[in-house]
Amino acid sequence: MREIRIASKIISTLTRDRMQYPGRLLVDAFAMIARCGILLLLYSRVFQLNGGTIGGITFNVAAWSMFFYFSFSVFRLRDISKAIMQDVRSGNVETLFNKPISYLLYRVWWQIGMGLFSFVAITIVGVVVLVLIVGLPTTMTTTIFILTIIPVFLGATMLSLAIYSIIGLLAFWIEEITPIFWIVDKAVMMLGGSFLPFALFPDFMKKLTVYSPFGASQFMTHAVYDSWAEQWVFMLGAQAVWTIALSLLAWTMFMKARQKVSVNGG
Amino acid sequence: MFKELRFALYAIKKNIQNNVELRTSFLMNVGGMAVNNIAFIILWVYFVKSVGVINGWTALDIIALQGFTALSYGLAYFLFAGIRKLPDYVATGGLDRFILSPKNLLLRIGTSWFVPSTLGDTLFGVICLVIYGIITSVTLYQIALMVLLIILSTIIFLGVSTAIYAMSLFFTDPESVTNSLYEIFLTPAIFHGGAFQGATRFFFTFIIPSLLVGALPVEIIRDISMSKLSILVALAIVWLIIPVAMFNKAIKKYESSNFMTFGS
Repeated sequence: MREIRIASKIISTLTRDRMQYPGRLLVDAFAMIARCGILLLLYSRVFQLNGGTIGGITFNVAAWSMFFYFSFSVFRLRDISKAIMQDVRSGNVETLFNKPISYLLYRVWWQIGMGLFSFVAITIVGVVVLVLIVGLPTTMTTTIFILTIIPVFLGATMLSLAIYSIIGLLAFWIEEITPIFWIVDKAVMMLGGSFLPFALFPDFMKKLTVYSPFGASQFMTHAVYDSWAEQWVFMLGAQAVWTIALSLLAWTMFMKARQKVSVNGG
Repeated sequence: MFKELRFALYAIKKNIQNNVELRTSFLMNVGGMAVNNIAFIILWVYFVKSVGVINGWTALDIIALQGFTALSYGLAYFLFAGIRKLPDYVATGGLDRFILSPKNLLLRIGTSWFVPSTLGDTLFGVICLVIYGIITSVTLYQIALMVLLIILSTIIFLGVSTAIYAMSLFFTDPESVTNSLYEIFLTPAIFHGGAFQGATRFFFTFIIPSLLVGALPVEIIRDISMSKLSILVALAIVWLIIPVAMFNKAIKKYESSNFMTFGS
């Protein structure tokens, strides 16, 4: 109960903080246009050149799939790695370990609080803009899609936090985690269907996506495909299994890291 | 002029020596970045396999595109990574110490920082262009052209960076704004070159020069196009002159935040 109270306090305080600075939201929106807008513009051209269909999907399906990836990236959950690394490098972790709240959970709530406002605001605006420009594919009007889209986003949030926390916690053992972060981040980017939608993947990459935690952390990009109607049970299940396994791993690493740190005060 | 350049080279040398001291971290950054960049090759090669050849762009052209972009990016920031720290210097008042220096301000800022991963980008770029050169059996003339194009792309990268980061002198939250602007420039630069036609091609050549650092050099090498080369040379001169003038004008707007960071 106390943990929940602290979590909601951290998240609400940070959300209010973000709301006080509309300029930051504007910048996030600007970044979203830079990444996703340009990509969609160019994909529309590519689909036009190919007669409207590539790999069995139409442009609006590809657009929504990529939009889900980029709107989720505005949440900036991956920044938890850098935040943990900064705490370790600066020695700030010593102070935070002495607080009456678990350090790892504190970082998780902090990260959610930092990105939640931008994520919700930009996703709502993006959905409206995309509906007006490319329209809704029929797959997004099915009951299964409506019922599963929020759970799959929640699963993606938890799994992303687990993956990036593990990388951050490596800073307790490794001098430089940035290269590991890059490689994992690129694996998530590739298998998540950012630049290339899942439907256009070769077979081996499709298997990698479905069975790896990197792909599972972006399963919301699959919800717009026809295949979602048959695969949603498996995909939500796989996401849950990876979340539990990697959360346990992160927690074990955190416990080991706590023992490794000697707080000297100062 | 030569005195300034000698100082810049000295600063770059010292920056490298500083970073090499942390050997493991240095090597991990260089190797990690080279591996990291492979992701874009995989993505775009499979893109070409899925959608086929678009406007004459094959998978090999994509490899050359990634090579040109990574190499010019790597070289630009291997030499002058400090320009990317300008928003940070402005926000924290760190710019004061550079203004007080008797050296050329832009050169002094540019050489104030070094990023080891840029060596990884450079390495990756060279490998991509060597692969492209071997497979397409480029002639000596094309190799010479390639060297010229790398120099021009690097100049454009530096010019655009200077223009974007000089804008940090006009905003209160400079880091986020300049990062977004930079992304608008960089994202199309690594995108499939064949997808840019008509209005988008014009926009990303003359307004936002993303195509100048990758797509256009590939087309010049492939088609040995003198008209495109002339456009690139002209625009490289523009992107060399205007950003420096912009920076000199913008710097007059600077008011110190005075965080007592002298010498930090």
